[in-house]
Amino acid sequence: MISKRVYVAWFGIHFFLIAAVCFAGLFSLVAEHATILPSALDTFARKAELAAAWPLGKHAGGTNPLRRSIATYLHAAGIQSGYTFFAPNIPGYHKLIFELNYPDGRIEYESPHFKGKAAALRLDSLLTRLGDNRYEPLREVVLKMLALSIWRERPDVKKIRATFGSVSPPSITDFEHGKGESFQPMFSYDFSLRDENRR
Amino acid sequence: MKIGGSGPGTAQQTGEIACLEPRTAMPLLRRQWQKLLEFLFPPETSTWLAVFRIGMGLQIIVYALFLGRDWHSLFSTTGKGLVSRELGEAIASFDSPVIPKLGWLVVFGQRIGFGEETVLSIAWACLLCIGFCLLLGLFCRPAAIVAWFLHLCAAESGGLLAYGADNLMTMALFYLMLSPLPDPYSLDYRLVKIRAKDPQLLGFWRRVLQVHLCFVYFFGGLAKLLGSGWWNGSNLWRALIRPPFNLLSPDILVRFKYALPVLGISICLIEIGYPIFIWIKKTRFLWLVCILGMHAAIGLAMGMYLFALVMIVLNLAAFGVGIRVAFVGHPATTTRHPH
Repeated sequence: MISKRVYVAWFGIHFFLIAAVCFAGLFSLVAEHATILPSALDTFARKAELAAAWPLGKHAGGTNPLRRSIATYLHAAGIQSGYTFFAPNIPGYHKLIFELNYPDGRIEYESPHFKGKAAALRLDSLLTRLGDNRYEPLREVVLKMLALSIWRERPDVKKIRATFGSVSPPSITDFEHGKGESFQPMFSYDFSLRDENRR
Repeated sequence: MKIGGSGPGTAQQTGEIACLEPRTAMPLLRRQWQKLLEFLFPPETSTWLAVFRIGMGLQIIVYALFLGRDWHSLFSTTGKGLVSRELGEAIASFDSPVIPKLGWLVVFGQRIGFGEETVLSIAWACLLCIGFCLLLGLFCRPAAIVAWFLHLCAAESGGLLAYGADNLMTMALFYLMLSPLPDPYSLDYRLVKIRAKDPQLLGFWRRVLQVHLCFVYFFGGLAKLLGSGWWNGSNLWRALIRPPFNLLSPDILVRFKYALPVLGISICLIEIGYPIFIWIKKTRFLWLVCILGMHAAIGLAMGMYLFALVMIVLNLAAFGVGIRVAFVGHPATTTRHPH
């Protein structure tokens, strides 16, 4: 059996990394002013987030071997992200609507979908990420892929307009007064098979 | 740092720790080290590992079956999948190029003449078979390693489509693969007579699981407490009416609107109190029941079956096996129990 000291050392390092990931995630929420804490703490929280992420090698360059080793271990152990599920608040959700334009002038509306319910949860995860500004550089690429999947099913479509937006569900009081959810478009793209241009 | 106290092995007078003579400081450190070892390496039976293995086997089977119909849409490359697998893998490679991905298997398959679709189908079938192997306890250790590897590949290649349950599954399979398998309830043990190499590590790996769950709930509860929506119940309302979690009709939820703030605060308190009350003998059963109830409710009311199942399995393995109900008499046992 490997010495108990080795196991104790591994235990210490492992949970130190988990704590660093969790604290970095928590301070990030505070810094983004997503919590009930006063905004005066934002600057402190940003510094604390950087300090917590320091042991994870985030300060080093992307190709730094230590940073990559730590990242590999975190991914392998499934501890690369914190546990702030459904926290601190649950925002509205996002919706992606494809407007399918046919050569005869007909217009149909479609949303990306999977066959199973379990995969539908993953689609929701994708749309939440697309709404996040950190994923802005990926938006057009991902929407293009999703539009392409529509084209595979309906090759006769001439043009696709993808509209992405956030949906604000009604509060309980609003719901009792008969109000429904509201859709706020965030951005849209037009795609055609021959050329794509951003709108 | 001031140290006070009396008795053998402690300083008689207060003073700087640096001034303590080695003969008094060393026993103190040795005792602390001994206490740490006793905490990390408690005597333990292998029942918890059997529960963990069977539970994760079931989890892998459910994972494979639930994603079966969409497996190719999720993990095919550009032009075939809904979102290209290559995008997810590129994001993972940005963190580190040596994180396992399904792309590795596809490249390997192409070298021996298999197409992408065939490789993905084989990977899915392997995952399903491995789930049954874990469930039955057949080839326990290799099955746990392959399950961890294949699931990690799928989770990383899924990239933008991954969510919390994937990380928790990877974590659980990571610990399972390192635990001293096989357990006495497995077919490996009963039929092939394979024995675990380091059964004295049973207690250690259960401790790791227990401490990890404390981290999960503490940080989850703390983050929720920092959101106003958990204090007034609006977060529960929003969670339950938004697609794809809206299995319950809002009309039904409105009837319980006064219960939502209480439920919201209760969830926060149960989670943040977990690292304390799950260790106290008198509250352990109650806390475990509350946390299992919460996950069962999440699974049934929001359709998050995979997430609910993995959390239930982790909790049962970590704290459920060998639990005693407080205030209920138990027959005396001759075996030493960790709790």
